[in-house]
Amino acid sequence: MHALIQGVILGVLTAGVFALMASGQTLIFGIMKVVNLAQGAMVILGAYLSYQLFTSFGLDPFLAIPVTTVIMFALGVAVQWLFLRPLKKDDRSELSLLITFAVALLIEGVMSITWHTTYRSINTGYANSSWSLFGYQITLVRLWAFLLSLAALGLLYLLLNHTRFGRAVRATVQNPESAKLLGIEADRVSALGFGLGAATAAAAGSVYGLLYPFNSGSHYDLISKLLSIVILGGLGSVGGAVLGAVIVSTSSAVVAATISPAWSEMTFFVILIAILLVRPQGIFGTTVRGAL
Amino acid sequence: MTRLRGAGPIAFFAVLASLPSFNLAHWTINLLIFTLMFAVMSSAWNLVGGFAGYPSLGHAAFFGIGAYAEALWFSHHPVSSGYEPFLLLPAIGLLAVVIGLPVGAVAMRTRTDVFAIVTITLLFVVQGLAFNLHGITGGSQGLAIPPAPFPAATYDRPFYYVLVGLLALAMAVTFAAMRSKVGLSLAALRGDEDKARGIGIRVTGVKLLAFAVSVGLTAMVGAVWAYYEGFIYPQFAVDPLITIAMVLMTFLGGRATLWGPVLGAFILESAQQYLAYQLGGSQVYLIAYALVFLLIMLLLPRGILPTVQDQIRRRRRRQALDSGSPTLTQPANAAATAGGGQA
Amino acid sequence: MKWNKYSKTTWQAAVAACALALTASGCASGSDTAATGQRNGPLVIGASVSLTGDFADSGKAVQRGYQLWADSVNAKGGLLGRKVEFKIVDDLSSPTQVITNYQNLINQDHVDLVFGPFSSLLTVPASQVAKRYGYAFLEPAGGGPQVFAQHLNNLFFVQPAPSVRAGDVFAKWVLSLPADKRPRTAAYAELDDPFAGPIAESIRTAFEAAGIKTVYKQVYPAETADLSPVMSGIAAAHPDVLVSGTQNNDAYAQVKSLVQLKFSPKFVFMSNGANSPLEFPDKVGAANTSGIMSSGDWYPSSTAAGSAEFAAAYVKKYGGTAQQIDNSSAEAYACGQLLADVAKKAGKIDNATIIKSLHSGSWPTLLGDLGWNADGAPTSSFSLVQWQGGKLLPVYPAAAAQSAPVYPKPNWGG
Repeated sequence: MHALIQGVILGVLTAGVFALMASGQTLIFGIMKVVNLAQGAMVILGAYLSYQLFTSFGLDPFLAIPVTTVIMFALGVAVQWLFLRPLKKDDRSELSLLITFAVALLIEGVMSITWHTTYRSINTGYANSSWSLFGYQITLVRLWAFLLSLAALGLLYLLLNHTRFGRAVRATVQNPESAKLLGIEADRVSALGFGLGAATAAAAGSVYGLLYPFNSGSHYDLISKLLSIVILGGLGSVGGAVLGAVIVSTSSAVVAATISPAWSEMTFFVILIAILLVRPQGIFGTTVRGAL
Repeated sequence: MTRLRGAGPIAFFAVLASLPSFNLAHWTINLLIFTLMFAVMSSAWNLVGGFAGYPSLGHAAFFGIGAYAEALWFSHHPVSSGYEPFLLLPAIGLLAVVIGLPVGAVAMRTRTDVFAIVTITLLFVVQGLAFNLHGITGGSQGLAIPPAPFPAATYDRPFYYVLVGLLALAMAVTFAAMRSKVGLSLAALRGDEDKARGIGIRVTGVKLLAFAVSVGLTAMVGAVWAYYEGFIYPQFAVDPLITIAMVLMTFLGGRATLWGPVLGAFILESAQQYLAYQLGGSQVYLIAYALVFLLIMLLLPRGILPTVQDQIRRRRRRQALDSGSPTLTQPANAAATAGGGQA
Repeated sequence: MKWNKYSKTTWQAAVAACALALTASGCASGSDTAATGQRNGPLVIGASVSLTGDFADSGKAVQRGYQLWADSVNAKGGLLGRKVEFKIVDDLSSPTQVITNYQNLINQDHVDLVFGPFSSLLTVPASQVAKRYGYAFLEPAGGGPQVFAQHLNNLFFVQPAPSVRAGDVFAKWVLSLPADKRPRTAAYAELDDPFAGPIAESIRTAFEAAGIKTVYKQVYPAETADLSPVMSGIAAAHPDVLVSGTQNNDAYAQVKSLVQLKFSPKFVFMSNGANSPLEFPDKVGAANTSGIMSSGDWYPSSTAAGSAEFAAAYVKKYGGTAQQIDNSSAEAYACGQLLADVAKKAGKIDNATIIKSLHSGSWPTLLGDLGWNADGAPTSSFSLVQWQGGKLLPVYPAAAAQSAPVYPKPNWGG
């Protein structure tokens, strides 16, 4: 029982950072119908940037976030403009899978040259602090990570619901054709949307780097988890991504704590397949795939 | 054209079959073996990903199933003549078909992007099982297959001929599919599945057939690979990059064509093996690879063969126009070309 | 989940076409026998190591060791008057590429000798190719059970003992303690990996036979980023000794997690990761290393044959300090030392001579004296090393010890 509850605590705290990564990915899908296989690589790049700022300037990862998100936003816009915009509409969904995979490899290649393949971790002064609450361990770093992820998700929510850009995004997600009729430039929304997805990856990366050691190849582990989360929640739904992240993180932490870490990753793949059998569109996905 | 279509494959396989008798260096045959493996697998992937339009990213799972089936069988049975592992191939292909049918039936309820993700999930489940079922698979310790007792001088040849045979099989299946009602049905469902169902095509049956045959062929290659390697580990036997290679080769050569995947495999795999050896250690590998990948997708989104064919047709048409041949037939030709490029 | 990250190489399709043309036309001159090379030309040694991909960092360390030995032997006039040259190629950490590479080295480039790659995963397929063509196979980094299960007489693993036996020295030391000082309960946290896990398992067998009770055991997969569930299970079981079958990263994660849980066992042994002189204190904090044990075959203060010369040459060529030298470089260098010794003893150097010579007697290297059984498994043992005052020191067996073992382990530094 103790192990179970400890697992749930850990799972929920970890869910925050995955919800952040997945919300960016699902947003990109919602706007452009592109499954971004480079999201994991962008998260790791964000972690490296944050690592570099910490080791060179002593900048705390949490304070580094404004810097890394701006850099990654620009990168996201560039990727969309250079590689995705030229695709023809009919084969976009197939080709974009391959294109974003190639982008992931490109980012991995650059990272392995810049930072080599040894694992890096960001060791802040508070990295080892923890509290004991009714016999359950809560580490400071995890709590911080969780709160920060919530804050970033909150910002994203405000951006989508209370700005002109947000309205344009939501209109595009719901119906690209009528959005065009309303005078929304699809290309611009796509570019900014991809940038926004990359920016959430950067924020998530800073948090991720604080929690786990990473190297240039770590994005492979991330992407399979991220894909499960967004499919589980329903592609294109930010709320679904958050729920998916909670389900995935909690189930794998609980299985790791109670059965064995060896089966923990398999758990959410099995959940995913089970859900797809019942609801091929995911929990929150609709057949028109849209609602934010 | 029709006459040439028959001559091409015959010449190609005649050359392939006679290559070892030129007393090729071992490293050349070794290179050809890996190239042929990918040529067979890309052709197999093409049946599902090219003709049916279902971009499976889970084929490496079946490659692994074939590899493990081979290794498991021969951890309990002796290898004496060295040919037994090859004789087991049809059974392994059949096993993959049997596993592939229900898997395909579930996965193919979803379309393109979701299908891709579901199949890659399948791949991770199979890899996870290979790691975790220690009692059967040996887990991370891997499984050994007894080395073949072939003499060093001609060690590689049996592997080579078996793969040439598998390639012939894969291409024959593709050719038959293109020439039969199955091919038409696949093209129809690739275009618009709901419409295809509407006009009475047995969509589910046809796409499942394509999936089953495709994974069966892939598993047989996996078995040959396992025997050639002599030792298999979960992370190498069930490797997502194997899937990615199949996809990329098919895209490079040309989806839904007979020769496209073969061309793609010959270019990419032989280049990779050979250049990695020659230029080893250069850190820019991954970047160069990714850039070439991107360029192919952006400049030749339909692949080499369809693009080149279009160019030739266009030039012929222009020549025909220049020489003042009757222009009346041209629109009909052009329409046929446009349709033929994809189907 | 695990992705095998070997980078596929593809340059332009044009270059690819050239490669194909080469393949098709330029290779009708096959040769089936291992060329012995010209007597007066340089002695060419081929090796495939991982310069890219998963094993890249260790692969490069191996490359440095090979190269360093070649430099030092050439500075002394070469081997039997022949200059030593390495042809080192990249295998992308892929078991497929490694076969291609040894095929090419042996049959295309006709190298005189070959040395091994990094990791047992690549050593197994590579050693089969070497065996097929009658090449001796000295390999510094493939010590898993699968390697020796092949029963190859041409293979020699250049480390003191097979990988799974690396921790036996810890069991031996613990069981040499007086009964009242020995631990009574033990916990095991093992990485699911061909080398790390079995080291802990071998210790567990010895401990259980001696009556040390197993109170916790967990195997975790390589991609487990978060070890806190495992470590909280261990803290709850409260064992006297923690035996960790670790690789590198997971060792750091285990220590960090234990510090956060404020649980400090009396004895901690970690198979790998804790024996890296620079990374370990950097990752877990120097104050937290105190008292942690591991095992090793080479350390900067070693007095074994050629050790000081190696360390000095390394620092001269690659910079840094002796503390920064990766063991893999020392092990790779030892392969070269063995060649030089064989050459000196036999007065000639070829594959048959190497195989015949190394199968008998004991050979001094910077890893200590080495000898092999018929399958190429080395027959000596590792040393027990412990972190004391921020330094990694050999503490057992007494012959190699530079300090006495400290136990129980001091509390975490925080």
